Amino acid sequence: MCSLLRGEEMCLAQLFLQSGSAYDCISELGELGLVEFRDLNPSVTTFQRKHVNEIKKCEEMERILGYLLREVKKADISLPERDVNPVAPLPKHIMSIMEQLQRLEVELGEVTRNKDKLQRNLLELTEYTHMLRITRTFVQRSVEREPLQAQYEEFPFLEKDTMLEYSSMQRLGAKLGFISGLIQRTKIQAFERMLWRVCKGYTILSYAEVEEYLEDPDTGEPSKRVVFLISYWGDQIGQKVKKICDCYHCHLYPYPSSNEERNDVVEGLRTRIQDLHTVLHRTEDYLKQVLMKASESVYTWVIQVKKMKAIYYILNLCSLDVTNKCLIAEVWCPVDDIPTLQRALEEGSRKSGSTVPSFVNRIPTNDAPPTLIRTNKFTSGFQNIVDAYGVGNYREVNPAPFTIITFPFLFAVMFGDLGHGAIMALFALWMVLYENNRKLKNTRNEIWNTFFEGRYIILMMGLFSIYTGLIYNDCFSKSLNIFGSGWSVKAMFTEGVWKIADIRGNRFLTLDPNVTGVFTGPYPLGIDPIWNLASNRLTFLNSYKMKMSVILGIIHMSFGVILSTYNHLHFKKKYNLYLVFLPELLFLLCLFGYLAFMIIYKWLVFTAKDSRLAPSILIHFINMFLMQGDGMQPLYPGQTGLQVFLVVIAVLSVPVLLLGKPVYLYWLHNGSNRIGMYRGYERVRRNSEEELYLMRAHDMEEGSGHSDLSTSGERPTEEFDFGDEFLHQAIHTIEYCLGCVSNTASYLRLWALSLAHAQLSEVLWAMVMRVGLRMDTTLGVLFLVPVFCLFAVLTVSILLVMEGLSAFLHALRLHWVEFQNKFYSGTGVKLCPFSFSLLPSSFEHDGLL
Amino acid sequence: MAELSFNKDHGYLEGLVRGMKAGILTDTDYHNLAQCDTLDDMKLHLQSTDYGKMLSSSEEDLTVSLVDSKLRENLVTEFSCLRSNALPPLSTFLDYITYSYMIDNVVMLITGALKQRDVAEVLPRCHPLGAFDQMAAVGIARTPTELYSAILVDTPLARFFQEAVSDTNLDEMEAEILRSKLFKAYLESFHSFCKSLGGATRDTMCPVLEFEADRRAFIITVNSFGTDLSGADRSVLYPSCGKLYPEGLQLLARAEDHEQVKAVADCYPGYKIIFDDPEPESGCKTLEDRFFEQEVKLNTLAFLQQFHFGVFYSYIKLKEQESRNIVWIAECVTQRQKSKIHNYIPIFK
Repeated sequence: MCSLLRGEEMCLAQLFLQSGSAYDCISELGELGLVEFRDLNPSVTTFQRKHVNEIKKCEEMERILGYLLREVKKADISLPERDVNPVAPLPKHIMSIMEQLQRLEVELGEVTRNKDKLQRNLLELTEYTHMLRITRTFVQRSVEREPLQAQYEEFPFLEKDTMLEYSSMQRLGAKLGFISGLIQRTKIQAFERMLWRVCKGYTILSYAEVEEYLEDPDTGEPSKRVVFLISYWGDQIGQKVKKICDCYHCHLYPYPSSNEERNDVVEGLRTRIQDLHTVLHRTEDYLKQVLMKASESVYTWVIQVKKMKAIYYILNLCSLDVTNKCLIAEVWCPVDDIPTLQRALEEGSRKSGSTVPSFVNRIPTNDAPPTLIRTNKFTSGFQNIVDAYGVGNYREVNPAPFTIITFPFLFAVMFGDLGHGAIMALFALWMVLYENNRKLKNTRNEIWNTFFEGRYIILMMGLFSIYTGLIYNDCFSKSLNIFGSGWSVKAMFTEGVWKIADIRGNRFLTLDPNVTGVFTGPYPLGIDPIWNLASNRLTFLNSYKMKMSVILGIIHMSFGVILSTYNHLHFKKKYNLYLVFLPELLFLLCLFGYLAFMIIYKWLVFTAKDSRLAPSILIHFINMFLMQGDGMQPLYPGQTGLQVFLVVIAVLSVPVLLLGKPVYLYWLHNGSNRIGMYRGYERVRRNSEEELYLMRAHDMEEGSGHSDLSTSGERPTEEFDFGDEFLHQAIHTIEYCLGCVSNTASYLRLWALSLAHAQLSEVLWAMVMRVGLRMDTTLGVLFLVPVFCLFAVLTVSILLVMEGLSAFLHALRLHWVEFQNKFYSGTGVKLCPFSFSLLPSSFEHDGLL
Repeated sequence: MAELSFNKDHGYLEGLVRGMKAGILTDTDYHNLAQCDTLDDMKLHLQSTDYGKMLSSSEEDLTVSLVDSKLRENLVTEFSCLRSNALPPLSTFLDYITYSYMIDNVVMLITGALKQRDVAEVLPRCHPLGAFDQMAAVGIARTPTELYSAILVDTPLARFFQEAVSDTNLDEMEAEILRSKLFKAYLESFHSFCKSLGGATRDTMCPVLEFEADRRAFIITVNSFGTDLSGADRSVLYPSCGKLYPEGLQLLARAEDHEQVKAVADCYPGYKIIFDDPEPESGCKTLEDRFFEQEVKLNTLAFLQQFHFGVFYSYIKLKEQESRNIVWIAECVTQRQKSKIHNYIPIFK
């Protein structure tokens, strides 16, 4: 409990690690996750540190592992992500892992290269068959058109149209040539245009699309190809055409000169494709085998390499001792855990079989230690709420233990409904009972995870809502009559105040509690259910809830101010008790505490009989500040005198708050030179400083190389600046005094939200459920089913989720602002221990995939 | 008024490019890089920057050319991400950026063809930002007219060619002249495009492009000394959108040696510092380096304003300079020339 209130006591410790066993010791510490390491060589850049080569090796292994994982994923083999937690491998085992990995990489690389080559080959052959098949149709088409052409039957129309030109070209010795191949469909337009421009029309291009999608060997994406056939005259143009084909990345295949040759080629291609298919299948099977084998141990390797890398990073933070025989590390460690730490070091030394033990040595320091607050699964949610505002300073009072009760309570004040609270509590209870279910735990859904992490908060909020629901006597906007109402209508008739005609004639009748028998006494728990029927229910509840909010707020704030004494006492600033805490508390209680007193006094003193005489507290409170109110009837004798006294005290506490602390500190600082020798606290400080000095000297004698740090940690005595101190205190004073007014008003949100919630649920009942219940016929039963569904859905979505979130937010604000600013500074640093369990656990997170 | 609706179309990309700009290496990064002893050390340091695992994902041994190609790949990936998300005025603007690389590629391919090099050999050396479909066919052309009418007519470069077309046979000198002519047309067109966009884009881009134009004019003049390029020939090549236009360009056309160029630059305060005699302690920087330094200065200014396209141009140019810096440091590291390692041009100081 003390640890939750203040956080763990921390100390700076030095670990002397024998160079032989340092690796094992750090590995042990990583498994435990106890301590935070400090960097002892901040001036050395990353690549000049000692273990940079090992880290490079680890990175090389990570690269190979990433490659393996990618291949495994590509082959659609599921990774066994088991709950194994292998320890970091010994340095001597690194080489064997490295070798295994490298062998796997080489093997895998060869197989995949082979596979790629085969696939490329296969693609070429398929393209070639497509080309042959499609170009045949070009030819056949032309044959049909002009069947009698003897020599160049492919292009009969040209011969016919340009007979003259053709003959002249033949005279020049030009030959007709063919180039055929495949090209990406998107490029064919540009390709055609360029061909025409460069070759000035001395080429004929015919093309047709391949119906199938062919896979691109470079990107692996299926794409459409176009088969084309270019016929040209002359070698020069042929050269150009070839160049253009190259530039558009066409795949060119030889064009068969005759039909027989074409058939032969097609036949040959078919057998080769079949062969390739079998070879490819074999290769794929083999690849799968290799990957299967790798996937079994890849998870272990990933974790091992990650741990190893982390250990070397930590070793890089350590510095070498002068004798070069042992490493020195500086760690922040909880005082209570030093024995565990010692044991872990012994274990590490034992494992590595070193004869000289590694040991821990506490060293004094002036640096502010990091904060560590141990939590369990119940408290962690509440601690997170506090940490979201700010991590507490070292050994500062932690608001979290109080938040466990106040947070759900303030939430419930705004969310008070028995039914809604019960649903919420049941939902949270289900999550709590099944919290070990892996399916609930390991989802990727962020919204779900938020709810799941806060399951205990939700459970508490639900339970408290049930309680406040009982107090408000609200269950889905209806009241429960458990104990029997304290009011009786019948008594009005027996006493003869009302007649039957009155009921007929009036819509509204007022029960008079002064008539005997009408009001028999208060309802045992919460609000009397008869108010649910009353037309002035809202007026009654508003006044009640408003007063309640103010009282709760003042109690909450005073509690915050009182908590600040724990900080003042712990940090040995006793003067703060008189100069800050006391005026603050007086200011709050004299003004707003008195308001709470008046509310309660009025509740207690005025009964139903003299309620008409009850004065307005608001007027009295205003008059208290104006020092007026002679004409008013006092609440109690001596009221004016007491009020003047309280106001004077409150006003006087402001200058004390404003000037007290800075003036006292100023006096302490300037006067201590003369009279400080006689003062006890001064002596105490001197003593401790002497001790510090002695201890440091002792350390030096041991010849450790850490001296540079402990001297750098030596702070010059604190400079005192009156102006600074005064300015801070002035800001604090203004903030506090204005804050008292605005924060009290801010607590009225308790009333406003609870009103909104109650009204909303009533509207939902009246607009939805009542419509369904009004139907009298048998059809009404059927009609009630969809109406209830609608009611249920709206209740959950609007009243539970939306209203719940808004109430949560306001409760959060009340804690962060109104409560915590009274005592909590929250400017600390969290301890982040070196722990293997904090390393990212899934493959995606570490960039391997 | 363009500012009102700027974010609707281009806000995402501007945010993206500003985010990427934050990843440009800082002074401390360069300082650390310059301390490296091997390329592996550089790789380790670059891992902690925005380059991340860029270099560690390859199996082969590190070489300077590998670093260079990876950096280039990185730049192209970023640029294509911007380009594929861009909407009309910005997409045209981004296309304009690629045109300069296209011009360089065309000229490189022509000179490669003149030297009887195989196209497959020259192609990998082309800048991937300036890649276009017809690139490999450039070698077919023998005259600029043919080049234009047969091959480049479908590319975006076609409109820059209209003035550059001539019927002379292509030789190496002619290829350089062609490059200058193309750049002149390109810069003038880009300049007028930016002017037409108006607003902050004009205010930031025009000075940068004017500087670019003037740099070309100076470099052409300096390089022409000792060749048979006459003053009149030169003046045709000067881009006319710079600050030197028209008086400065006339003076430059008449210049005969380095001193006279310096005299011209002295009339313009912006260029005076570039031609000033190098101070002894700053080491001997080449004229090119001084121009680069000035360009970096101009480009960093673009990030001071919002709602304009200049940041895209500046980012690409700064990233290019950063690549040059890293490659320079890598070269120095591999050749153990520690004394020259500090000759890189830091970008954001």
